[in-house]
Amino acid sequence: MAPLVSINPADLAEKARRDILQLLEGVRGKKNLVIQKSLSGPLSLFVKFSTLQEYGVDKVFFLENDNVDTSQKNVVFLARGEKAHNIYAMAEQIKRVRRDSQTEHDFSVFWVPRRTLVSDQILEESGVLGEASILEYSLYFVPLAEDVLSLEYNDAFSDLYLRKDPSSIFLSAKALMTLQEKHGLFPRITGKGDNAKRLADLLLRMRSEVSAGDDMMSSGNSILGLTPSASIESLIIVDRKVDFPTALLTQLTYEGLIDEVFGIQSNQTEIDSSIIGAAAPQSSQASSSTAPSGPQSRMRKIQLDNSDSLYTTLRDSNFAIVGPLLNKVARRLQTTYESRHTAAKTTAELRDFVSKLPGYQNEQASLKLHTNLAEEIIKHTRSDIFSRVLEVQQNMAAGADPATQHDNIDELIARDVPLRSILRLLCLESTLSNGIKQKDLDIFKRAIVHAYGAQHLLTLSALEKMGLLTVRSGGLASINPTARGQAANTYTNYQTARKNLALIFDEVNESEPDDIAYVFSGYAPLSVRIVQCILQKQKITSLSSQRGGTPTAGTTNATTGWKPFEDTVRQIRGATFDEVQKGEEKAVKARQILSGSAHGAEKTVVVFFLGGVTRAEIAALRFVGQQMKEEGKGRKILICTTGIVNGDGVIGAAIEEKGFGGK
Amino acid sequence: LQGKRGISFEEVARAAYDEGRARLATELLDYEPRAGKQVPLLLSMKEDGIALDKAIESGDTDLIYHVLLHMRKKLPQASFFRAINSRPIASSLVEASAIDKDTELLKDLYYQDDRRLDGSNLLVSEAILASSNTQSQADKLKLASKLLADSKEYTTHRTAIDEQIKLLKYQETLERELPPNPVATSGVTSPGATTDSSIWKGLSINETCFRLIRTGNSKRASKLSSDFRIPEKTFWWLRLRALVAKRDWA
Repeated sequence: MAPLVSINPADLAEKARRDILQLLEGVRGKKNLVIQKSLSGPLSLFVKFSTLQEYGVDKVFFLENDNVDTSQKNVVFLARGEKAHNIYAMAEQIKRVRRDSQTEHDFSVFWVPRRTLVSDQILEESGVLGEASILEYSLYFVPLAEDVLSLEYNDAFSDLYLRKDPSSIFLSAKALMTLQEKHGLFPRITGKGDNAKRLADLLLRMRSEVSAGDDMMSSGNSILGLTPSASIESLIIVDRKVDFPTALLTQLTYEGLIDEVFGIQSNQTEIDSSIIGAAAPQSSQASSSTAPSGPQSRMRKIQLDNSDSLYTTLRDSNFAIVGPLLNKVARRLQTTYESRHTAAKTTAELRDFVSKLPGYQNEQASLKLHTNLAEEIIKHTRSDIFSRVLEVQQNMAAGADPATQHDNIDELIARDVPLRSILRLLCLESTLSNGIKQKDLDIFKRAIVHAYGAQHLLTLSALEKMGLLTVRSGGLASINPTARGQAANTYTNYQTARKNLALIFDEVNESEPDDIAYVFSGYAPLSVRIVQCILQKQKITSLSSQRGGTPTAGTTNATTGWKPFEDTVRQIRGATFDEVQKGEEKAVKARQILSGSAHGAEKTVVVFFLGGVTRAEIAALRFVGQQMKEEGKGRKILICTTGIVNGDGVIGAAIEEKGFGGK
Repeated sequence: LQGKRGISFEEVARAAYDEGRARLATELLDYEPRAGKQVPLLLSMKEDGIALDKAIESGDTDLIYHVLLHMRKKLPQASFFRAINSRPIASSLVEASAIDKDTELLKDLYYQDDRRLDGSNLLVSEAILASSNTQSQADKLKLASKLLADSKEYTTHRTAIDEQIKLLKYQETLERELPPNPVATSGVTSPGATTDSSIWKGLSINETCFRLIRTGNSKRASKLSSDFRIPEKTFWWLRLRALVAKRDWA
């Protein structure tokens, strides 16, 4: 235990890397690796294909392709153990390889993150349990950036809200427990939303399970039990369900738009090489080394992370100022290049310049890449349909009567705009104004089925199930403080939230933002505002009173938890809670003595998004962190999530892909 | 005993059960904090319901599945359904796991539970899967529509299904009557549309209409639009787009 060290994502990556390599070493000789597709992205974040080769991996196959060959004696499977269909797929393949092959094979299965009872049961029924050596690969958080940890559990959203399958909550709890085991208990767990509450309950429960295990000396290794952490200030859990609209809006930061237009998976995006030019072999970002077998088409993989310093400055900016920023960098590069004539007179100066040259070249390559990307995005944002969609979104977010937007939506449907965009608009309307009127909703449903096919009857049902597209009815429509009784499953009241939390911010400055609303050009994501209610109380109070909202109780600087925003937060969907975790007194004292010197050091606030977070929200949270630094509160924000989502992904969970014509 | 450390309630309870005092054992187990240890014992004590509750409480889906699989093998279907129905998480997990493996189970579940829309949706998705045979598709859709018949709530849904039956039949006629037209290849980009102009099946109503105009069958298009009551504005947009795609500026 090293409780004083604050959470370091690089350590997590290192541990994940060591663990997988150790497992691979355990399988003697060369081997073929069969991997679940959605795991290959996360894996590529911390281990290179060349490294895998050094550890004896000959070829890599995707589990979903069902094409593992018999070239090697050892076959290693790597898949998530939570999903039954993975287990069935694996059992089938083991049987197939056994049948087709002339030689004996040794099978190994690494379950991520744990071996489940169900997997054993299924493998046993298929009669292959005995032949596989089964191990666990406990991979939970994967660091996407120095302040972003993700479970990269892509199904989390549909699992939670469509199938009501709580496995992602359980995984999240486990993952957070690993943090607690290393860095001590979260002194405070604050959160909003029903699933968030469930997660917090699980954390408390797991803690008691750990100490029960301790008592009986069964695990033996952890000595003191868990005590409150000295390096972590608190954990804030936000349920995605609390704030769907933010995920549905078109993101307007640079990284957000890349995600909207091209899609980003595990810090990688694939872009047609005709847009950005063929892969430049010297540029370090083009090393898509873990890309396993399969035809490398005209798409080029691009790494988007903080190794590219230009990208680090660009990604969280509003797209409107990306052009000027690029321009500035281009100018600077040019002047440095030109300066070589004037400055580099002596050989020493020349040598100095030459040694810096590779750096310049890298910068130039990255500049070229991002200029091309930005141009391509501009093509999208300038299109008529994009601006129409954005107009409707902005009007709805600002609280215009949704009925005024129906004509626009009708027209967009008739013009055969991609279904996802349409559904995002409709769900946005529904979630912002507690449902759509029965009559209007029926008309829209009809129009959608006519325009996109009857298979989308299923899509619409699924959206309804997720609570994204609902009929407005008297019963559960509005939350007002008087009807507090059934606060369990009601809806977020955006009308009051808009006012009390200053969600709309007209005069936002995009080039030098002064508020998080810059990420959506005027709309501040509710989810991040909720976090601000805990972290930046004064700022929110001044914002809302400035804007004529009901001024919430005076300046209560020192308090933590939800004070003084209980009333406002109560108007938002789901449970609100605030738990304090205490350790045993003796242990706490011991800890205090141990950590005496480290007092006042920068503490970490962990913000956990259950059900996914958007890139725009990440940008907004980074902005909050920046502001707090300026205010002199030494706190670091660490963003954790089950996965990164965007509106298309949210809607995609519901969409029925197959049509009546087959395929 | 409660509150004392260093005692495994699981072991105590097991001992009590071995002594034949099942009730006492169950009560004792309540004090055992680790669900992973409670559940198997409860199952072996045939306390299925309690085991399921404890598994749900633990939040560990693996444990829940474990109990569910166990119960499903042991109990007759009806009482299995009854057991899970009162527990929403359990029933949603059964649904989630049955969706790609065991649709018959789901149908029974929805029927017993009177969840018409879910049941009907299941049939619709079966109809989609049976894409090679229009007749069987139509049959499935008819069943789906029938399920919703005596309920006012789902009229929109039901009309849509009925329209789809009609559309499938119409598209079949089109495939028979219209010669493949080499001009009409691209232009329709939504999923489900094929580039082969002789295949109409699977297109949505708007897409069918669009392609009819594009291939110069305006009369059929107008007929289609009035049959399915396409709003005028939509129809004009369709015509505009189709004529532009055809480069017919007349």
